[in-house]
Amino acid sequence: MLTDDGRPIFLQIAERIESDIIDGTLAEESQVPSTNEFAAFYRINPATAAKGVNRLVDDGILYKQRGIGMFVSPGARTVLMQRRREKFFDQYVQPLTREARKLGIEPDELAEMIRQGEHALQGGAQ
Amino acid sequence: MNTIIEVNDLTKKYRKSEALRGVNLALQPDRIYGLLGRNGAGKTTLMSILTAQGFASSGEVRVFGEHPYENERVLNRICFIRESQKYPDSFTAEHAFRSAALFFANWSQELADRLAADFQLPLRRTIKKLSRGQLSAVGVIIGLASRAEITFFDEPYLGLDAVARQLFYDRLVEDYSRHPRTVVLSSHLIDEVANLLEHVIVIDQGRIIMDDDADTIRGSAFTVVGSADKVWSFLGDREIVHTDNFASLASVTALGPLTENETRAAAELGLELAPVSLQQLIVRKTMSASSAASGVTNRSFSEAAR
Amino acid sequence: MNRVINVMRMQLTNRWVFIGIPLIIVAASFLLTLVIWSLVPEQGRYSGGAQAVMWYFFALGIQSLTLTFPFSQGLSITRRTFFFGTIALFSIIALITSVSYYLLGLLEQATGGWGVNGRFFALEWIAGGPWFHPIAFYFAVMMALFLIGFWAATIYKRWQATGLLSAGISVALVLVGTLYLIGSRQAWGQVGAFLGAQSQLDVAGWLAVLAVVLAGGSFLTLRRTEP
Repeated sequence: MLTDDGRPIFLQIAERIESDIIDGTLAEESQVPSTNEFAAFYRINPATAAKGVNRLVDDGILYKQRGIGMFVSPGARTVLMQRRREKFFDQYVQPLTREARKLGIEPDELAEMIRQGEHALQGGAQ
Repeated sequence: MNTIIEVNDLTKKYRKSEALRGVNLALQPDRIYGLLGRNGAGKTTLMSILTAQGFASSGEVRVFGEHPYENERVLNRICFIRESQKYPDSFTAEHAFRSAALFFANWSQELADRLAADFQLPLRRTIKKLSRGQLSAVGVIIGLASRAEITFFDEPYLGLDAVARQLFYDRLVEDYSRHPRTVVLSSHLIDEVANLLEHVIVIDQGRIIMDDDADTIRGSAFTVVGSADKVWSFLGDREIVHTDNFASLASVTALGPLTENETRAAAELGLELAPVSLQQLIVRKTMSASSAASGVTNRSFSEAAR
Repeated sequence: MNRVINVMRMQLTNRWVFIGIPLIIVAASFLLTLVIWSLVPEQGRYSGGAQAVMWYFFALGIQSLTLTFPFSQGLSITRRTFFFGTIALFSIIALITSVSYYLLGLLEQATGGWGVNGRFFALEWIAGGPWFHPIAFYFAVMMALFLIGFWAATIYKRWQATGLLSAGISVALVLVGTLYLIGSRQAWGQVGAFLGAQSQLDVAGWLAVLAVVLAGGSFLTLRRTEP
């Protein structure tokens, strides 16, 4: 469910759809639920849902087919992943290193921890 | 865009108090408005005057471009069931719905029947024997099934349990999607309705203190927490909504969007940034409006503390 | 106009209120009267029981304002439409009741007072004269009673207890003033003669004037009443 964490709801909706596209829940060329379905599912104002969806349409991530509905654009996943990668440093690496410095964790030690984390993930996946 | 409700400098005085003080509003069609505020802030008084059930002391109200008082062209398109709505003594919920069907042109009996089943409302019991929640359900059903072009809901959740309240919100979104209309939802349970609203009007002690798109308001404030001197130097001359001091720490809610650079700067200063929910912001604003009215601002409070 | 008729239909949504209960009241008071008559000597067999239903309509006048008016506001009905719909419905009910009383009065006379020489519907003074005299009398009494209840409730709704108290005191003052005036001029004899000379049609006329005044007062009061 969505949280009222102070960020505009339409942004949260857009991000949610983006995440679904990145992890493959919404495949390219597959149909996306209508704005009214989004509104009913997330219990939000339909106009807000439309605003979130239209943002992705303007962005070229989704495309509309008149009278049928909305679909995920071909190549959308690659574009989205590229964008998320660009933000990855600011969003995750910087806070991580800042916290590490606060706790006195050396960069080498941090790198080792990341390797261990990756290892644990692979173990979990097997 | 065409305004369907216009309010100019509206004032309502009772013998000893002022319920509305210089209210100005303009509402657009086909949106869900939240009319938020504390109990006694003036929500019901405002809706009463908009629907000509009550009378203004001064100021002007126009609905669909006309005065609503004794005006069937306007009233035919409006529905306002008040929180303390009265029904004839002998009436059952079924009688009330049958009466409503006579007067609301867009009345959907199908929807009324479905909602009555959803709320498990006893249709054949006289209304005066219903519980508070069931009484609220009767009002909610008339409001939704009327499909009036402007529908006012006056704290429609009183006595309803969490399940029934959710049911109301779900049915409202669902029916609104299919039959767009203007909905004014008065509430003091802000968290519950926040996501349903497209536009938010906050009323406090008879004054409008906020009137903006819900999404604009959501991005409009943040809270910063950290050591007091760093917090204040970071904030500069931003407008402060609320301050909490704790030992050498300060937690300050301030207005204005943050740029990415500012977010980074805050992180480098070791300050914690937190978004402010609609409810938090309204509570803060209402509190600062009250204290401003009593001659003390939060800013002067916090500065005195420094 | 259509909405005025809808107000009448709304008032009749629960048919018991305007039709079922009044019928029961008339039937019950009539049957009760028959029982009492069987216990008293033939000379004393007359009854004012027919007025019971009129007091019920007085109470209904109060209720249509205190509860039905706020409900009508919730259904976006204008005060004007509510007023005319309610008065129109009640006029029709009062007319039907008056005609029924007249017809039952004829039946009463034809059956020799229901076989027991009783008087329930066709009381001496009321039943005399041409057919429209008793009908006009019953109708005027019912309208006046209904409107007294309606206006009093409107005054209460608009100005609460203070308003009703002031209205009550004003009415009392006017009555006391009139009595004093009659007394101080030693005119009781003339007044008695005047009252004794009134036919039921004359009284109906006075009550009709009163009813029109009450209706006008109710409407003006209701125009600015909040539910």
